[in-house]
Amino acid sequence: MNLEATNDIPPVVPGIFTLPPYDQAPPKLLGGLCSDCNKRYFPRPRYCPVCLGLTEETVLGSEGTIYSFTVIRRRPPLGLPEPCSVGYIDLAESGLRIFCLLDPATIDQLRVGLPVRLAVGPLGHDGHGSPRLRPYFTPMRVDD
Amino acid sequence: MTSVAVVGVGMIPFGKHPERSLVDMASEAAYLALKDAGIEPAQVEAGFFANAFASRLFGDLTVGQNVFWEVGINRVPVVNVENACTSASTAFYLGYNMIAAGQAEVVMAVGAEKMYVPELGLLDSGLTELNTQLGLVAPASFALRAVRHMTEFGTTPEQLARVTVKSRNHAQYNPFAQFREPVTVEEVLAAPMIVDPFTRLQCCPNADGAAAAILCSPRLAQRLGRAVNVEAAILCTGNYENPQDLVRWETDYRACGLAYERAGIGPEDLDVVEVHDAFTIAEILHYEALGLCAEGEGGKLVEEGHTALGGRIPVNVSGGLLSRGHPPGATGLAQVFELVTQLRNEAGGRQVAGAKVGLAQIMGGDKLGDTKSCTIIVLSV
Repeated sequence: MNLEATNDIPPVVPGIFTLPPYDQAPPKLLGGLCSDCNKRYFPRPRYCPVCLGLTEETVLGSEGTIYSFTVIRRRPPLGLPEPCSVGYIDLAESGLRIFCLLDPATIDQLRVGLPVRLAVGPLGHDGHGSPRLRPYFTPMRVDD
Repeated sequence: MTSVAVVGVGMIPFGKHPERSLVDMASEAAYLALKDAGIEPAQVEAGFFANAFASRLFGDLTVGQNVFWEVGINRVPVVNVENACTSASTAFYLGYNMIAAGQAEVVMAVGAEKMYVPELGLLDSGLTELNTQLGLVAPASFALRAVRHMTEFGTTPEQLARVTVKSRNHAQYNPFAQFREPVTVEEVLAAPMIVDPFTRLQCCPNADGAAAAILCSPRLAQRLGRAVNVEAAILCTGNYENPQDLVRWETDYRACGLAYERAGIGPEDLDVVEVHDAFTIAEILHYEALGLCAEGEGGKLVEEGHTALGGRIPVNVSGGLLSRGHPPGATGLAQVFELVTQLRNEAGGRQVAGAKVGLAQIMGGDKLGDTKSCTIIVLSV
């Protein structure tokens, strides 16, 4: 699926991925880094739940592998395409395991262990019909 | 020595009750529990009312005061409890602790929910949460565990389907269950796919319903008779560590371990078990967390019939969530209703012969790949 991210559509939640345009720098996930104990989080909490240090915004990267995935075939929420796919991704750089959407156009290719890369595009709405940018992972191409 | 007893339970059949209000259903369950216990409303010193969705679906709040007033309980402390699918078991937990602490002699817990609402869609864990906004719905949360279990242990779609087949076989003997017609493995697998690998028959159906329990001190329980002892009431929250292991569910294992420790028993001492089978894989995961089988062998356990009525350790003889239906605000107390009925030897065609020790497990909500809440209640006679 070629979902063109534009500056006109707001992110579903602020502060979880870098904003478009992406022609120079592809999207990356954003999370929190504890300034005291260096633990990383997604999404970023105000305080570090381990040591109560303050957190700062940090880049969590854009690559990972599928830990688990599924396909929602009936009535996905928030105007997401039917069917749509979601999964847990093991992020390569941080080691975090995060829940995220998967590319609705590549449902047939999904398997546990598949290398994936972050994309961002208009997917679904905000609950009231206004479109939103959402992050999703898509299988890495051979030339990646 | 146990410090708390259940002396009365009440429940209405779960299913579609479009003509009944939340208060109407809840007050009937409360009334039935009072009559079952032989307790007067004036003896009840506190009320805990559980509901999860009425604020979102109907704009209601503080419903408990309305419910308890309808059965003559007023002036005393009333608390409204929301803890997702563990709302009702949390109300029970709070009542248990109030009596164990010596703050009251008699407490009632009531749970109710109306879930038959047009265009309800799939349940989530809170609209403003990030994962909800990224498409997480309750069946997907468990489907992701199922895919991992199938990947790591070779659990099969047929083994998942057998959880539903067993559930329906049990439910035909439960007049409180919503779906009581037996189904075959083939029928379960041929039903419409909702969230891979769950067909519709592997997802618990929404239901309207209400259930109630009256807890009291052992001193009073001795005078009332037909009492069932509470050996443990445990409430755990998730650990929210990252990464989460989706099949070795630490919070589930931890809650079960605490319950065994508190009750001074092990899995081999259980006669009858109710677990949170919101989706087929959930029951298999809970077998493993409870130690009814080894890690990864839950699919085999159900396939070989060990958890069916007449088997080594019958699980969800009520039909569980899959057949009884799931009104989240009521289900935890419906489990207590089932265990009390079993331990009193009053369960008719679904009676587990000679049942002396029962355990109820339920989970609620989803956060960071973990649960928001897990409760375990252990009862004995």
